[in-house]
Amino acid sequence: MSTSTDIETTYADDAEKVSLWDRIGRPVAPFAWPMVLAGAVILAAGCFLSWSYTDEVLGDLSIDFYPGAVQNLMIIAAVLAVIFALMYRGPFSRLGEWLASATALRVLGLGTTVFMALVIALIGVQAGGLVNVMPGAWISFVGAVLILLGAAGLTPRASKDPLHAHLPSWLEILTIVALLAIVLFGAAYVLDIEDGTVFSLVVLFTGLVAFTLTRAGFFTWVGIIAQTHRRVLMLGAVAVAFLFPFTQDGSDANMSIATQVLIFASTALGLNIVVGLAGLLDLGYIAFLGAGAYVGAMFSHSAFATIGWKPNFLLVVIFGALVSATLGLIIGSPTLRVSGDYLAIVTLAFGEIFRLAMGNLDGQDGPRLTNGPNGIPAIPDLEIGSFNFGETHEVFGITLGRFANYYFLLLVVAAIIITVFTRLNNSRIGRGWIAIREDEKAAEAMGVNTFGLKLFAFAGGAFLAGMAGTIKAHHDVSVTPDQYIFLESAFLLAAVVLGGMGTVAGVLIGATILKLMPEKLRFVADYRLLIFGLLLVLMMRFRPEGLVASKRRQLEFHEEDEELADRVEEVHLVEEQEAKA
Amino acid sequence: MTDLLQQLVNGLTLGSLYALIAVGYTVVYGIVQLINFAHGEVFMIGAFGALATWTLLFQGTTALWVLPIMILGAVVASVTVAVVMERIAYRPLRGAPRLAPLITAIGISVALQEAVRLFYPGAKSKIPFPQIDVVTGPALSFAGVTVQRAAVFTVGALLMSAALLWWFVNHTRTGHGMQAVSEDKDTARLMGVNVDRIIVIAFALGAFLAAIAGVAQGLLNANVDFRMGFLAGLKAFTAAVLGGIGNIQGAVVGGLVLGVAEALAVGFIPGQFGGSAWKDVWAFALLIIVLVFRPQGILGARVVDRA
Repeated sequence: MSTSTDIETTYADDAEKVSLWDRIGRPVAPFAWPMVLAGAVILAAGCFLSWSYTDEVLGDLSIDFYPGAVQNLMIIAAVLAVIFALMYRGPFSRLGEWLASATALRVLGLGTTVFMALVIALIGVQAGGLVNVMPGAWISFVGAVLILLGAAGLTPRASKDPLHAHLPSWLEILTIVALLAIVLFGAAYVLDIEDGTVFSLVVLFTGLVAFTLTRAGFFTWVGIIAQTHRRVLMLGAVAVAFLFPFTQDGSDANMSIATQVLIFASTALGLNIVVGLAGLLDLGYIAFLGAGAYVGAMFSHSAFATIGWKPNFLLVVIFGALVSATLGLIIGSPTLRVSGDYLAIVTLAFGEIFRLAMGNLDGQDGPRLTNGPNGIPAIPDLEIGSFNFGETHEVFGITLGRFANYYFLLLVVAAIIITVFTRLNNSRIGRGWIAIREDEKAAEAMGVNTFGLKLFAFAGGAFLAGMAGTIKAHHDVSVTPDQYIFLESAFLLAAVVLGGMGTVAGVLIGATILKLMPEKLRFVADYRLLIFGLLLVLMMRFRPEGLVASKRRQLEFHEEDEELADRVEEVHLVEEQEAKA
Repeated sequence: MTDLLQQLVNGLTLGSLYALIAVGYTVVYGIVQLINFAHGEVFMIGAFGALATWTLLFQGTTALWVLPIMILGAVVASVTVAVVMERIAYRPLRGAPRLAPLITAIGISVALQEAVRLFYPGAKSKIPFPQIDVVTGPALSFAGVTVQRAAVFTVGALLMSAALLWWFVNHTRTGHGMQAVSEDKDTARLMGVNVDRIIVIAFALGAFLAAIAGVAQGLLNANVDFRMGFLAGLKAFTAAVLGGIGNIQGAVVGGLVLGVAEALAVGFIPGQFGGSAWKDVWAFALLIIVLVFRPQGILGARVVDRA
């Protein structure tokens, strides 16, 4: 690892937290490092012993020397702890100059301790009494506590800014590929878990590892190399997404979820153009998806379709997108006169009018176009050329079912939307949007065509949603007005806000979380809306920039943060230098 | 003629309800320039508060003396929710970009609806609202125009609340404080007004009227529903904007105008696009037209930069 001449230092911990950790850690400080190592070994050793007396809890944890799913997680945690410990002192100490190993160990120690306590409690509750907890679990718990106490005794050191880390390109690319592979197999593995509790534990653990690596500064570095090797990342991501159905072995259950996630994510990305880039809050966005879906349904071969003309599907897609974009123009036109919350309310009213109108155009209260509340059912599967989307196909001996077919089509749509999004974001138009978002009056004064750009954001976003809508009609088989209620718009907004306004990765993550959780966790399904309502409130309160924050956006929400401002400026300078070189 | 009068009566009833809720939007907006999007839910909580009071204390009683206690229960529920909401969700966001409080409000709105649906026994479907002697029962009839007893209660409640509110704002120390804060927050603070307290009072006042509206709605419809706040809140917001948001008289006028307009649209728009199926569409269309072409409303309000 070569170092650049000037070394910027950042402190991972703020003063208050250090003092708390230090108070716990001071007594063990002299032998903290061996303590962490010993804790990791004990934690792993416990995983090879039986944790539970019965084999009915959390999969099967009752067999010695045959770790179950949850035990494997703790082994991974132990390995991570050893790696970080060796970074702090030992063979990996050069890596330790770059990553905040002590901080990471503290997070990891706290996390594994809580995790083990949770597992023991779960075994106790589900098997009826702590008697059923076997020694293995207690041993692992002791190991986790040792890591926690030991990590408290370590001294967090200043680590170098990963912006100045220059590794050979091939190593950086290899890291990206490895991370993507982990994502692919991790997703396949996680989706395969039937038991809701084990699923939650795995998700919790993933979150813990991600948080540990974030605190260590690993993801800052990943973000930087992802910037440098953007092409590799894009290509790899496409490959991962493309290969996903092949890991499912013909099972439709997960593919059905995956297609729903894709439709949702595509729409959310469209919304992200309006909200994330242009900063215009649209609370009726689901209407655009609905417009596309209704167009798709009305021109389909369904016996209930209200229009006799059955054009080629490609034509329908374009037509649906255009109808949707026209609606977008209409809804966007008030932006000439209103902005801010008033605009949000106007869009909300438009969305409601769309839903009510679709429910009324049944031949009784208006022309017969949509069959009113009954909607248009029995939409046949898509047929492009001789390829029928309803049939199963065999590729390399792996069965691909109906949902896999739609998955591939939706993948193409999502790829188009992502391309449009990123190209727009990096163009003159995107910079115009940012200017409008930050200060509309200033932007106008600088000669930005604010009205045109705002209108374009609405129409463009609507165009993309309409495209996805036409496919959704065939995918869902029926189209009814109650699929397009205000809550759905709010749900889309939640995906954008949760993930990170203005980012692609963030919105993809947000959409996946919001769609996957209720599908996998039945007990969450009923509380889904409650949770997401509270989530919106908490996100706005504690992390308004979302899980994956674009740095510039973060700065908009934390204007007083001087350090962040310097950092954003520095990143820009380095990018400029690299662009020149 | 009877037809027109009948629609006017219907419209004024509906309008009184809108006006009661609209005051909450307007009072809060006038003071912190915040659209409390979750205000419709405060109204819904009020209705459920009254219902819970009745179910817990007076199950089976229909005597009139129960009503004031029900209203008290409604007010306690609404005001608590509104004040807690202000304290934990909105106050930390003062000074944040405009998008933030609006998204928070949507979150609160959804969370409150769901909380009632999940945790109030039986709230997954509509719950019958108790019928109270005198204020409900056989409709009254004047010259061929039928007037529901609950409608009389609603209009009466609006008149009394409006009078009380007027007195409060113009003749009490706190009311003068509210006027000062809405005029200029910083100067008011320099003059020794406790701005935080005034803001809490604004939320509480709005919740107070919304709770009364909740009871009135329960009596009018004879049932309550966890979803009732969304549409009512949106309509009331329309009313507030129609009258000029931030202007308390405006909210009352706007509510009545919107109610009458809606009733007339149901009764007198001919052909397929008339009738009750399209009434909400007309209300929303009115909302858009007002927001776009006359955002300062009928009575006018201070023009605020809406960027």
